[in-house]
Amino acid sequence: MAETKAKTDEKTSCLDTMAKNPLYVGLVIGILAAVVQALLISAGGPEAYGFCVACHTRDVVNVAVNDIAGTKLAVAAISQNAILPMLTVIGVLIGAFVSARYYQEFRTKAGKASSYLWYLIGGFFFMVFALFMGACPYRLGLRIGYGDVVALIGVIAIIVGVLVGIKIATSLAEREG
Amino acid sequence: MAAAGWLTKDVAVIAVPIVSLLLGLLIGWLGQRSGFCSIGGFRDFFMFKHTRLLYGYLMLIVGAFVSYLVLSLITPSAFENFFWLLHKGLMPVPGAPANLALTAYILLAVIGGIMIGLIGVLLGGCPLRQVVMTAEGNIRSLLFVIGMCIGAVLFAAWISGWVVGILKSMGLA
Repeated sequence: MAETKAKTDEKTSCLDTMAKNPLYVGLVIGILAAVVQALLISAGGPEAYGFCVACHTRDVVNVAVNDIAGTKLAVAAISQNAILPMLTVIGVLIGAFVSARYYQEFRTKAGKASSYLWYLIGGFFFMVFALFMGACPYRLGLRIGYGDVVALIGVIAIIVGVLVGIKIATSLAEREG
Repeated sequence: MAAAGWLTKDVAVIAVPIVSLLLGLLIGWLGQRSGFCSIGGFRDFFMFKHTRLLYGYLMLIVGAFVSYLVLSLITPSAFENFFWLLHKGLMPVPGAPANLALTAYILLAVIGGIMIGLIGVLLGGCPLRQVVMTAEGNIRSLLFVIGMCIGAVLFAAWISGWVVGILKSMGLA
């Protein structure tokens, strides 16, 4: 136990302490998303588009499918005009993977086969409903900062969904145990 | 209307993948260290009164607002419609299916929001968290991300058309 503690302390730099605190992480994402707009908006809209997990995934996947299959699936103007779409989500995958390896937190975690199906279906519907409003919770946050009232309604709806989800999860847990 | 940022259009079209990849790398690292999650923030607050993740999400909104405000004073041409409400009223920032009535956008925000909140809680996280957990070796999250990719294609190919069709029949498009 003491040995593990010492090992952790050794690796805990000031920068890492900040990286572990969601407060700073949220602040950094918010600031950089605005900086990205200042840098890249000449390539095309929409506004408040600096960071979005759902939309940027959509852009990468749909641009790839369009190139391969010759389809014309909708993507954001900025990803359509640029030589390659917004690669944010590819970056997140690589960044998180390198970080997990570096801090020895990478673990292959398998689940039940039935749970895979639920996650596949869940991911599918998550994307569909996120694209209903053209935003994941992060772009909704950016849009609220940009002054978009509908985005605020979206976040309030997310809170309602979370409360319903908690009710369902607790009643499922009670039934099982 | 062509908004103008710090980079000219010729340079920006090349910079898009580079800048977004760098931003993603940083957010991936921070997300892995902090367990940052928006929907998880609401869940932890309502279930356990934990505010750690929730404050992270609120800081994202505050950080974005202050940065948009400051940068729009420095480079107004890159933030033409900030503060959106004052320029465009209640209509949302583009991103959802185009040319709908305000009521339709509110309806989509309410349905979409409730559903992603529900799915996020039941499957243990918002999309950023799922992507980060995928990178940490979680196979279930990998399936979630694959599901998202399929959803993106099918939404653009058919589902958005159906949604707009339904809204049209209701007189909202």
